[in-house]
Amino acid sequence: MRVTAETKAATRRSLLVASRKLFRQQGFEQTTTRDIARAADVAHGTLFNYFADKEAVLSAVVSDAVSAALAKFQESPPAKCSLEESLFSLVALQLRQLKTMRKLLPALVESLLSPLAGKSDEAAMSVRLSLLDAATQLAIRHGYGELSSMALQLLWTLFTGILIFWANDTSPKQEDTLALIDHSLAMFVGWLDDARNTSTGSKKKQRRR
Amino acid sequence: MPSVAELIKALPEVEAMEREEKFTVPSPLEQMSLRPIPVGRWRRLGMLGTLQAKIAAAYLFYWLRSWFSHATESERNLAETHWRTALRMLDSMSYLRGAAMKVGQMMANFPDVAPREFVDTLDRLHFDAPPMHWSLLREMVHNELGSDVEQLFASFDHDAFAAASLGQVHRATLTSGEDVAVKIQYPGVGRAINDDLRNLMLFLLPSRLTRDWEYVKAQFEDIRSRLEMECDYQQEAANQIHIRNLYRESDGVVVPRVIPRVSTSRVLTMEYIGGVHLDRYLQGNPSQQQRNVVAERLVRAWYRMIYAGRTLYIDFHPGNVLFLDDGRIGLLDFGMMIPLDAKLWHLMEVMDKPLTTGRREDRDAANRLWCELSDQEYIGERKAIMDRFADWSWRPRYCGGEFDFGDEADFREGVDLFAQMVKRRYSRAQPCTPLIARQQFGWRSILYRLKAKLDIRPIAEEEVAITGWDRSYT
Ligand SMILES: Nc1ncnc2c1ncn2[C@@H]1O[C@H](COP(=O)(O)OP(=O)(O)O)[C@@H](O)[C@H]1O
Repeated sequence: MRVTAETKAATRRSLLVASRKLFRQQGFEQTTTRDIARAADVAHGTLFNYFADKEAVLSAVVSDAVSAALAKFQESPPAKCSLEESLFSLVALQLRQLKTMRKLLPALVESLLSPLAGKSDEAAMSVRLSLLDAATQLAIRHGYGELSSMALQLLWTLFTGILIFWANDTSPKQEDTLALIDHSLAMFVGWLDDARNTSTGSKKKQRRR
Repeated sequence: MPSVAELIKALPEVEAMEREEKFTVPSPLEQMSLRPIPVGRWRRLGMLGTLQAKIAAAYLFYWLRSWFSHATESERNLAETHWRTALRMLDSMSYLRGAAMKVGQMMANFPDVAPREFVDTLDRLHFDAPPMHWSLLREMVHNELGSDVEQLFASFDHDAFAAASLGQVHRATLTSGEDVAVKIQYPGVGRAINDDLRNLMLFLLPSRLTRDWEYVKAQFEDIRSRLEMECDYQQEAANQIHIRNLYRESDGVVVPRVIPRVSTSRVLTMEYIGGVHLDRYLQGNPSQQQRNVVAERLVRAWYRMIYAGRTLYIDFHPGNVLFLDDGRIGLLDFGMMIPLDAKLWHLMEVMDKPLTTGRREDRDAANRLWCELSDQEYIGERKAIMDRFADWSWRPRYCGGEFDFGDEADFREGVDLFAQMVKRRYSRAQPCTPLIARQQFGWRSILYRLKAKLDIRPIAEEEVAITGWDRSYT
């Protein structure tokens, strides 16, 4: 049987839909690739034509959500506000989109999305690149120029830290996560400001008082 | 009394503080290991918190020093060292902005105990820049109410028009067109303050000084439990609805209507009251007659809450009263209400007698009961001072006739007596007795600033009637 691009995409989609549901219902650890294939009505072996392993499935699920959130963000980017605020909107929108898979994120952050990840896959790479690219665009628009590799690494560390914190956040309506995003981005932009001031020579150390 | 500037100078340098970084990590971050990132740059929150926290801390420091006045010199020095370090921490703790503001509001109640400049500074700080930017605010609303601001409101001001102790207040309009004020809490601030205070207490353990320690601990617990109460806007909304129902149009008292559909434990949406605070009101040079009218309304509002509402409105301070153009008064902030349980209600009933007769033996009976409630004996010096304070508090009512609330000597007498009670720890953070004294003081200080001349006896008589107490002594 000839597999057209169309049926291929459809199979991939039903695998992702099935896994999203299973991950949510029984958790990432408890779900096997066999379960996913069965739920998507696909032969177990076929699944591996699409995904290398279970991590890759999760990473694709997350990547889809992140792309969707990014599309929404680009559609109506926050107007007339600081870099910090724009970044906040960007991150908050991601969290809204990822809400149903909140608890699954640590599994991914510890492997494919880790700031120190040795191994990665295409989907995870795309999540990372697209998010950091969006952040860079914002930085440029706000006059900060290109983000240095250190800045990108810092931002990614903060972002994944937020995801892990969020997954385990037991505060009412996970409100502590909002505070953490706020703190993290205030810190990040403060760091950018400092770096900028130092490099432009106006290095009078700001003193509180 | 040292000036605020001197007190602030007495606080250690910022550089020294930055070495104690481990205390500057707010609790969410402690739970995860983001070690490589430089802490100690909680820039935005830090900057906002600093001035207020510093002033409040400086003042607290002064107060604490007077509490320790019975300790020996070396004990005192030791305690001061600990307190200094502790206050340095306090100063560096981002979240304490809210707590600092509370201290400030408490102080603003005592215009003559706290130096004028201090009260003025705090008044101004009340209208400082908002700490939550719009993106965070939008997200908080979505998180709490499940929809975006745009779906819930016809319009919503991006900038806050007032700061609240744990958040900020924005103007908005409902889809029905009604003008509302939306009070929004900074996410997690309540629990964070609690953690901060707990850490502070732990840190202070070594400075434990026999009986003062217990007292200081009780004070902290008091602040903590009060903050906890303040954090729950749902409870506040319930109180507000209860109080609002106590007034009729003719009372000239407005308690904003709560809009439950867009309120949660972190978001409180209510009718907007277009009034000004006491200072602004007084700047407009209202006539004696006008001031008397608003004072009468305040007194009535207060009695109504006690006798019909059976609650104590602790936060009777200038920040919570708005003066409307048409002479009505608006009351805000029902986060801290103490319901009068059977024991306290009985105390109120016993107190009614000296309040009415002004007789010494009736006052003694009430004071004795008051002391019993907090396990204290009503004898000796305590008896003497409490008797004088009670007499000062109740005089305007039992004397009847026009009372000059603006009389400086009279007000000063009350301030001195209150200060003595605090100093001798007669107003311990035991049950509710200090709160009764505090609110007593709260409305008197507003009336003092209004320079009101008023006969409050007929107002009281009208309002007490609802209790159904046997008042054959009247
Ligand atoms: N319904 C309202 N109408 C007008 N102003 C309000 C209203 N609610 C709050 N404010 C403004 O916000 C300030 C802080 O509100 P408040 O309820 O006292 O906060 P807190 O939580 O600190 O007690 C008030 O002093 C007042 O200026």
